[in-house]
Amino acid sequence: MTPKVTALIIEDEKSIRSFIETTLNANGYKVFTAASGQEGLSFATSNCPDVILLDLGLPDIDGLHIIKQIREWSVLPIIVISARTQEKEKVAALDAGADDYITKPFGTSELLARIRTALRHHHLQTSGSGKMPNLAYQYGGLIIDYEKRLVTLNGQTIHLTQIEYKLVTLLARYSGKVLTYDYIINQIWGPYADHNNQILRVNMAHIRRKLEVNPAEPQYIFTEIGVGYRMQESQIE
Amino acid sequence: MQQSQSVSTKKIMSRRKIIINNFLICTGFLVAATAVATVFSYISDSLINVSMFYILSVLMIARYTDGYVPGIIASIVCTVFINLVFTYPYMELNFHMRGYPITFLCMLTVATITSAATTRMKAQSIILNEREKLLMEAEKEKMRANLLRAISHDLRTPLTSIIGTSSTYLENSDTLSDSEKSALIQNISDDSNWLLNMVENLLSITRIRDGNTQVTKIPEPLEEVVSAAVLRLKKRIPTAIIKVQVPDDFIMIPMDATLIEQVLINLMENAFYHGNSNMPIHLNTYIQDNMAWFQVSDYGPGIPGDRLSTIFDGATYTSQSTDSRKGMGIGLSICKTIISAHNGKITASNIADGARITFNLPLGG
Repeated sequence: MTPKVTALIIEDEKSIRSFIETTLNANGYKVFTAASGQEGLSFATSNCPDVILLDLGLPDIDGLHIIKQIREWSVLPIIVISARTQEKEKVAALDAGADDYITKPFGTSELLARIRTALRHHHLQTSGSGKMPNLAYQYGGLIIDYEKRLVTLNGQTIHLTQIEYKLVTLLARYSGKVLTYDYIINQIWGPYADHNNQILRVNMAHIRRKLEVNPAEPQYIFTEIGVGYRMQESQIE
Repeated sequence: MQQSQSVSTKKIMSRRKIIINNFLICTGFLVAATAVATVFSYISDSLINVSMFYILSVLMIARYTDGYVPGIIASIVCTVFINLVFTYPYMELNFHMRGYPITFLCMLTVATITSAATTRMKAQSIILNEREKLLMEAEKEKMRANLLRAISHDLRTPLTSIIGTSSTYLENSDTLSDSEKSALIQNISDDSNWLLNMVENLLSITRIRDGNTQVTKIPEPLEEVVSAAVLRLKKRIPTAIIKVQVPDDFIMIPMDATLIEQVLINLMENAFYHGNSNMPIHLNTYIQDNMAWFQVSDYGPGIPGDRLSTIFDGATYTSQSTDSRKGMGIGLSICKTIISAHNGKITASNIADGARITFNLPLGG
């Protein structure tokens, strides 16, 4: 029997904490809870859980501070729980090193999917040479072959420009995870690029017109308003 | 505490300002009177005119300064001045002159009466201003109370249902069948989702300060905002069928994307609940006259003619609908507030087979 994945929930609202705890317990996680940032931090340092669910609005410590503290010694996945209207906080948390965020209110399936995605990316990162990274992305009719640098949609080859291809593969490699505008711009255009994200938006619009049937109802790449983009999680494990 | 302190400093500041102001007015009029009187005394040598000029200046001072003090001081200064400069012996005070107390008394009376009249006038205008302010405040308070009543009404219905449903579940969990149980939970889930949208609407409003055009506008691609709104609505109402159309061109519109997303969701949700839910909802967008236009149309019974013009006011629904979810509630009035803050317009109309809400946003540039 494989050891259970341990999850730490840092959340001050009792009802939300207990609902997440119940869900995770029912899905085979070993769950620890902390009602304050201080408690959460000390638990994280002494027990090193596999994943942390962190509410940004804690009464004692700023959530951002907790992320920075943990990032000083660990790359363990942190998923931030936030309210919908706090785009700036979400971006700040992601830039500070959080792996992903989930917006209140969320369903159990969404929560579990986010945790799985975060754990999977974490394993890919830390296992290093031990395991080969995925050679392809596939969801529905969309296949991206990283080796052949080939993108096909329902068997048809899609012609992308150099930048467009880089963008799609970046999102695909982190599929299921949100990438902020700044992160994407840094990765594609380098650190000295103009951080006005208009050029990114235009390129994404071109990609959308090539990949999606209706750009207003995307199947593969989704916009997280005010934060960034998220690609549908790959079906190749 | 801090506020009261700042108020008191403000008071001190304004008092100092008034004193300086009074002083300047006094000096100005006295200098003017002295100048004119000097010129006159060279020409005609008549003392009556000289005192006339000074009386006039005292009158003016009393009229244009605050309180009695400046007028009284001015009248004293004037009498002393006349005595000193314009009567024999020149440049010397002589209090034994006949009629001197009368001049002084006259000046004093003029100063006092004018000051009294002026002070009363000012006090009255202040009272009038304050009364007007109070009236406006009361009007605002009334609007706020109406909104609060509307919100409370809208919140109570789903809350009642949630409490009722959950207590049914808790008290009868032994006798209820599994399908009945999941139906009850589904009710709770629907109602709480609806409540959440309402609360998010209210939070949206707090992003707009004082209902002015104070939203932070950032250029956002039209298609991204539309797709995000459709996605979120489908998450909430999976059965909704939405036909979306966006322009082929890439269009950026300056806006607060979260607020516009909220507007689109409200409109689509309304269309879903009011239209025939088997038929699709159409969300069309196009560019015309340097404006981005959004249209949400349904295949429902349409909007009653008498409500077309007032539908965005948020007050019309209370009397007609008992089911708050079917009522358009404050959702539409919030839409109007958001669109107005973006310098756009929102209108309702009936089309051949349903209702249509149209709004536009300036492209800027």
